[in-house]
Amino acid sequence: MALAHHEYRSALRSRILSILLGILVVVTAVSVYIASVDYASKLADYEAYRSAAQAQGLERIAPSPLATLSLLRGSFEYLEIIGAVIAITLGYLTISRERANRTLPLIRSRPVTSGELATGSYVGAVGVIATLVGVTAMVGVLGVGIVGHDWVSPAQVLRLVLAYFASIVYMSAFYSLGAIVTAKSRVASNGLMIALGIWLLVVLVLPQIGDTMDADNQIPGGLFKALTLDHNGEVEVLKHFTTYETIRTSTEEASLAKHYERFAFAMTDVKERYRPFGLSWLLAHTRNNMLWLIFYAVVLYAGMRRAFKQQPTIPEGGTQ
Amino acid sequence: MIATIAMHQFLSLQRQRVLLVMFITMLTVTILAGVLGWSSHHTIVRVYDEAVKILASTGRPAPPNPFLLKPTLSLLSNMVVYIPLIGALLALILGHVSIADDDSIGIGRLVFSRQITRTNYVLGKIVTAAAVLVLLLVASMIVSVGSLVVVNRAITGGDFGRLALFYALSWFYLMVFALIGMIAVLVTRRRSNALLSAMGAWLVITFVYPQFTSGLRPTQSLNPITDPASTSQTFFRISSRLRPFSIVEQYKEASGHILQTAPAEAFAQTIQRVIPIAALALGLLLLTTLLVQRHDFSRSAQSE
Amino acid sequence: MTARRVEQQWNIPAIEFQGLCHSYDTDPVLRDIDLTIEHGEIFGFLGHNGAGKTTAINILTTLIKPTSGSAKVYGFDVVAERQSVTRCIGYLPSEVRMYGHLTAAENLEFFAKLSGVEEPRKAVAETLEYLDCADLANTRVGTFSTGMRQRIGIAQAIVHRPKVLFLDEPTSGLDPLGVRQLRATILRLNHDLGMTVFMNTHLLSEVARVCTSIGVLNHGELIYKDSIEETIRRFPDEASLEEIYVRMEGGV
Repeated sequence: MALAHHEYRSALRSRILSILLGILVVVTAVSVYIASVDYASKLADYEAYRSAAQAQGLERIAPSPLATLSLLRGSFEYLEIIGAVIAITLGYLTISRERANRTLPLIRSRPVTSGELATGSYVGAVGVIATLVGVTAMVGVLGVGIVGHDWVSPAQVLRLVLAYFASIVYMSAFYSLGAIVTAKSRVASNGLMIALGIWLLVVLVLPQIGDTMDADNQIPGGLFKALTLDHNGEVEVLKHFTTYETIRTSTEEASLAKHYERFAFAMTDVKERYRPFGLSWLLAHTRNNMLWLIFYAVVLYAGMRRAFKQQPTIPEGGTQ
Repeated sequence: MIATIAMHQFLSLQRQRVLLVMFITMLTVTILAGVLGWSSHHTIVRVYDEAVKILASTGRPAPPNPFLLKPTLSLLSNMVVYIPLIGALLALILGHVSIADDDSIGIGRLVFSRQITRTNYVLGKIVTAAAVLVLLLVASMIVSVGSLVVVNRAITGGDFGRLALFYALSWFYLMVFALIGMIAVLVTRRRSNALLSAMGAWLVITFVYPQFTSGLRPTQSLNPITDPASTSQTFFRISSRLRPFSIVEQYKEASGHILQTAPAEAFAQTIQRVIPIAALALGLLLLTTLLVQRHDFSRSAQSE
Repeated sequence: MTARRVEQQWNIPAIEFQGLCHSYDTDPVLRDIDLTIEHGEIFGFLGHNGAGKTTAINILTTLIKPTSGSAKVYGFDVVAERQSVTRCIGYLPSEVRMYGHLTAAENLEFFAKLSGVEEPRKAVAETLEYLDCADLANTRVGTFSTGMRQRIGIAQAIVHRPKVLFLDEPTSGLDPLGVRQLRATILRLNHDLGMTVFMNTHLLSEVARVCTSIGVLNHGELIYKDSIEETIRRFPDEASLEEIYVRMEGGV
């Protein structure tokens, strides 16, 4: 716990981390604001329709087509992109801080194993990540309520909690990645560059390849929508392109970010086709995504423990 | 002196394999853009045909195939995404190592106790960064021409000219980020802070600013084909006035017009889009030469 | 440089401070220092950690500008005539590091070119030969030990044959053999090439063996400056320079 507390405190005192956190909170607020203002006017239109229908004594009133939680889409996309950078930075700082201050020999000459050091740092970092996600969540929910005039219902709270839990698991994987690559690099900042290169590939390039190959993305608004084909029609067409689709989806699924995005979007009604379904159906349908997330997080945590064990206590070139 | 610094910097980049990594990355990305462009176009045309069959079987009419008349250069439309995404990060790292490597080993004490001015020093670094970016983009252009020839069996003079213009525009765009990489080192004390500050600037320019001005979500910025975002009237009536200064959007739109993947517009209008990018590059160049005068080069080797 | 100035150079002090002051923000580091060092001296600059010794060297090597007062090297003002100053000086900073991915010769050629040396390759070869490290020429600096880095560091400082050599804590990290080699090198440079040497150091045994004069800085103030012989004569009761120095730092 001492190590976790040390990690938590050191991270929050890092100026660059504070700046990145600030950027994330501000962009989350703005993206939720933009979505919520639009939503508020649509909600007002729907309420007006419902009042008029009720006044005319109509029995069958169309349910609201609006999805409150989908207003948080931008927030989750920023967690996916910027949150991962913040997590990598945290991992980098864990290693570089001890190297720069040459405090590793002071820690390791005490009854602390490398496993305890790794776990303590990890727990502290998860604390920082959870704090960040919590602040982002609060900003998002308050934005939707105050600006969008539609508060998150008790039924939606569990789905939101699950989505933010997935955010914590996702970011913790990148934390471990940042720590591993930095620990294995002779020059810590080179490790940071390599970790950011991996981030670029996993978070931006692989999903972008998948999106580019997606037939539906070829014209604005969606190809199948323009052809007035529903989801079943889309599936019918794509049956003839199984190899292409396999390559496309495999490319996407190689990306941890895509699994996170699919799970978070399913929980927050971002995709229209998921909206009619309840939580248990959604969880069954996105089980693989969550399992992959957990798998990556666990494997990278194990890698981090190993990297801590193998890290030289005395930095090279220190005493020649 | 500028030539001495420039040649030395080039040698350093070679020796540290930074050049090699950048070349491999750029060429891989260009090949990927070509392969993706060809395979997705080829497949999507067939997808459309299959969709039309299904519609016909239900008695519904289908609109004409919009993919048959796609211009030749649309094969490379993904480059319009990869340049701001990957190219900009490469440029950032290039600018960063140009100054950070010297700073972190305290070499300033050896350099500036000699007869070289700080302006000449930084101009030498900028010349190298500019030259390296030219080499990278020329290599990418050669691969692009190769892709076009392989797919289309020929490339017209007009298409070649447009491609050259696209890469010239890309050079301006990437110079902005090389300079941001240098500036970040000059205004921060630690190397890691410099890298992360520069990354923060890239994130804001590439993802955050377009959301302010056009309502584009971050993942929409990754797609060469942008779905117009539904936007709040009040907010965007004000913020859209800042859109001309969103260099990533101006770059993408200018590139789209040059590569003919966007609806045609007057050439003068395309040139207007380039002005903010060029102006920013010039402004950052001046800022870099100013900041280098104030930077403390008397420090010894820095911790990271 | 005019002919008249060339003739006069040996009559001009090698280094001169007049009312030199420097502060970092509001924190004064050098306070009103007046100091003259003549051509050919080997001057040892002593003082506790944080006394301002490195700041003084940074001003003389034109890396920073003084807050007030003036500093001159062979009559050239370090601020107004920076180019002329940098032609005269060589500098070995503390914890010197060079480009690890380049060889010793490549590093030295680069610095020689920056110093305006006309035939850099030839100058580098001669310098390495002079310092008995020609065998290191084609080895990457990143593989060097501290002692080897120090020798190449001295090489870059003298490759352009400066008139004044500034050394900041040159014995830091060196083993006894390395210290002895450094001492021999300093004496040779002073004797063979007539180089004035300005050296910050804590190693008082070396100061006693190498320096011709010393100055003591205490919290930014120059509290003592004289030749070694005069110093020993003035403090006959103190057995070593260390005891003299400790006494000075504690108050003369």
